[in-house]
Amino acid sequence: MFSSRSEGLALALPGALFAALVFLLPVGLLLAEGFRSESGWTIGAYVDFFESARNRTIFWRTLRLGALVTLAAAIIGYAAAFAIVSLGESARGRLVGLVILPLMISPVARTYAWIVILGRTGIVNRALEAIGLTDEPVRFLFTETAVFIGLLQLFLPLMILSLVSALENLPRDAIPAARVLGASWWQVFARVVLPLTREGLVIGGTLVFTGALTAFITPAILGGSKVLMLETLLYQRVTVANDFASASVIAMILIVMSFSANLLLRRLAAARRGARTGTIKARTLAAGTTR
Amino acid sequence: MSARLLAYAVLAIVLAFLIGPFLVIVAAGLSAGESLAFPPQGLSLRWVAKVLSIESFRSSFALSMGLAVFGTLAALALGIPVAYALSRYRLPFAESIRTIVSAPIIVPGIIVGLALLRHFVVPLDIDVTLALYAAHTALVLPYAVRVVGASLENLRGDFEEAAVLLGASRLGAFVRVVLPNIRSGVLAAFVLGFVTSFNQVPVSLFLSGPGVRTLPIDMISYLENTYDPSVAALAALLALLSVAIVYLAERFLGFYRHV
Amino acid sequence: MSDASRGPTPDVPSSAGDARGGGPDGASAPMLALDGLTLAYGGSVAVEKLDLEVRRGELVALLGPSGCGKSTTLRAVAGLMKPASGTIALDGRDITRVPANRRDIGMIFQSYALFPHLGVFDNVAFGLRLRKTARETMTRTVREGLATVGLAGFEDRRPAELSGGQQQRVALARSLVMNPKLLLLDEPLSNLDARLRLEMRTELQRVQRETGLTMVFVTHDQSEALSLADRIVVMNDGAIEQIGSPEHIYRAPLTRFVAEFTGFENIFALRGDALETPSGPTALGETPDGEPAGLAWRPDGVSLGTGPFEGRIVGVTFAGATREYLLDSALGPIQAEADATDTPYAASETVRFDLPLRNAARLERM
Repeated sequence: MFSSRSEGLALALPGALFAALVFLLPVGLLLAEGFRSESGWTIGAYVDFFESARNRTIFWRTLRLGALVTLAAAIIGYAAAFAIVSLGESARGRLVGLVILPLMISPVARTYAWIVILGRTGIVNRALEAIGLTDEPVRFLFTETAVFIGLLQLFLPLMILSLVSALENLPRDAIPAARVLGASWWQVFARVVLPLTREGLVIGGTLVFTGALTAFITPAILGGSKVLMLETLLYQRVTVANDFASASVIAMILIVMSFSANLLLRRLAAARRGARTGTIKARTLAAGTTR
Repeated sequence: MSARLLAYAVLAIVLAFLIGPFLVIVAAGLSAGESLAFPPQGLSLRWVAKVLSIESFRSSFALSMGLAVFGTLAALALGIPVAYALSRYRLPFAESIRTIVSAPIIVPGIIVGLALLRHFVVPLDIDVTLALYAAHTALVLPYAVRVVGASLENLRGDFEEAAVLLGASRLGAFVRVVLPNIRSGVLAAFVLGFVTSFNQVPVSLFLSGPGVRTLPIDMISYLENTYDPSVAALAALLALLSVAIVYLAERFLGFYRHV
Repeated sequence: MSDASRGPTPDVPSSAGDARGGGPDGASAPMLALDGLTLAYGGSVAVEKLDLEVRRGELVALLGPSGCGKSTTLRAVAGLMKPASGTIALDGRDITRVPANRRDIGMIFQSYALFPHLGVFDNVAFGLRLRKTARETMTRTVREGLATVGLAGFEDRRPAELSGGQQQRVALARSLVMNPKLLLLDEPLSNLDARLRLEMRTELQRVQRETGLTMVFVTHDQSEALSLADRIVVMNDGAIEQIGSPEHIYRAPLTRFVAEFTGFENIFALRGDALETPSGPTALGETPDGEPAGLAWRPDGVSLGTGPFEGRIVGVTFAGATREYLLDSALGPIQAEADATDTPYAASETVRFDLPLRNAARLERM
């Protein structure tokens, strides 16, 4: 550890100043816009925003889909994480790599694939017609279901990653011990596994939830203007109506949600070292590669 | 025995869900037919060829490449000193600095893009491309700091002190002792930053203009108007590019270790 | 593979019917019966066609080196592993297909496996809670259980605060309060230091005496097995080498493996009345009856000073009460032992020695 503080500051300052200037300043100004009107500082923009039923629908829809995606990710995530952990150490690295791989692919490509699969002439519809379940193509695209599926695919790897890390830290004989004491598999999960992997679940859940809330590409492509979420609403308000007030309000909502989640994650990561690796890993991969 | 089978079955389904769509896109892009469908009617590279020949993609590809390369390099140039300072010095405001530098990860990209457009580009009449470069650099900065920071944490400080005692200057110690040892971390940060920047959409949404479009943005507008397999071919190419980069990075760098 | 022992040396009590463990009143059903049990991991067989019976109230040790299949057998009895073939019966009832959580068997793991997210009370109460025991009964039972293992008052502690020995006792209490028919223990003494080992051993014996609980434990340590068990099952490579009382195993090993495992150092194959040695067959004075395949002597069974054989001392080790000698001889290397108070021999000294037949263990298999 070097003690010259000024030296350290000199090194850190350019990067910090750059971030502050290019990033914090404009965003701060944007958020400030939400509180300005001709007569000074008000929260009028916020009131107006939430008065609109359409806006409220979109707000709740965003939260609802976020929650549903998180729930689905938790259930599937546990199943996949258990499977990975039970298959032994040597396969684990490769399996985790496979799970992470989709995160590296452009969200545009990943989301667009669903158009091919869920479209009117897509695989699902053709399969359904072949089996005879439907006569005409069912509309999957531009529905909440499509957005749900797209978001789930986008963020599931983060949950799996977090849960694998949590399961690896489970005491080795905890599950057999519970079994021998008379627990059914469900009781083993609810009374032993869940409490002991709670942190991993919270970390994964936070990443998935925030990701789903702040996603853009997937709702844009799979939901279009029929299923608007907060971010696509923002884009629409700005490009169509030059409505910067709404944009500012939405920006504030999104930032508050994202920031709170991040704070929670940092607190959890500081509490236990084991969680740190999982957190850093998952967080690093989360942002930017899944928006 | 049967537990093993169950595990394989679960993983097969989950991996199919996660990776399957990607494979679908690749197959659809290689279709010889006229319409966008899966399974493709025959295989051919014609749509790939078509995509590669579209002029606007060439220029947007160049722009995205430029952003990815220079943005990441700039982020590293700014970020490595920050990571070093945070790790080796007891800084005042260390937590604040860490927060500021990590902020871009927390804020949704679209907000950044809009904010830059509204309060930088327009009022100060700054060239959109410049703003785009600045935005991408800011976007990658947190990764640079974090990944390089992790590498630095793993490297004990004794080495530099030993070098200094042997006569090296601080800068010399850094170049001779620290850099070689965090090299794979830096490279991993570069790859991660590159991929992140290249695939980035929301930040670039508002920061586009005539002739200034990143590849993903260009793709999206193309997607909205075209319904033939060339779209799939394009998406597949993009995806394959990312996969190839990450695969090579893992192979030669042990990339996943740093992430 | 489950040999009853035959024709032991006279001073060792007869232990016929050891495999069945029935004894004179073998009519009462054994608590645990393994019949033709075969266990495999994927393609490789860990345990092959094992037959074993454990009497009510017995303390049986499965003794063997790593990889011999003892832990695998234990896990199969607990229900944590499905047999490839064969049956497991508990108190007369076939439990081969019964899942682990319904077997009425308790198990103490080598790592103790206390649930870190629960305190001591909740750990011990875990199984009782699953059975939906009434709160008052449960509290009373848990308190009694902790008192039994000498941890009264520890209810509010957390596992992380406890020492290894205390953790093990909590694990014991946790299993005992369930009143199992059979208690399984995986290497119960291995993690403990010498003093704790003695304490725990006394503890387990006391519990067994007071409750009459049938116990089966697994160990690789022969002294652990010798000191704790009523009967020892020596296993090697997935099969039983020998079953017998501790005295029996100690004095009269039946196979080369068991002999080596229990500390016999001087082991020779027998051809007629001659030992096979590196320098060719060497006749013993007498012919052993029963035509054993080999003979083995403990270091203290070699008599130094007189005898038909000669050797040169190449190593002397003072071991407190005894002095250990390594000799180089025509019979090969010989390990001998003498009282520390006897006149010591020096290195390079030549000395005569004898291998008296009466001190030898007869090995049926080499």
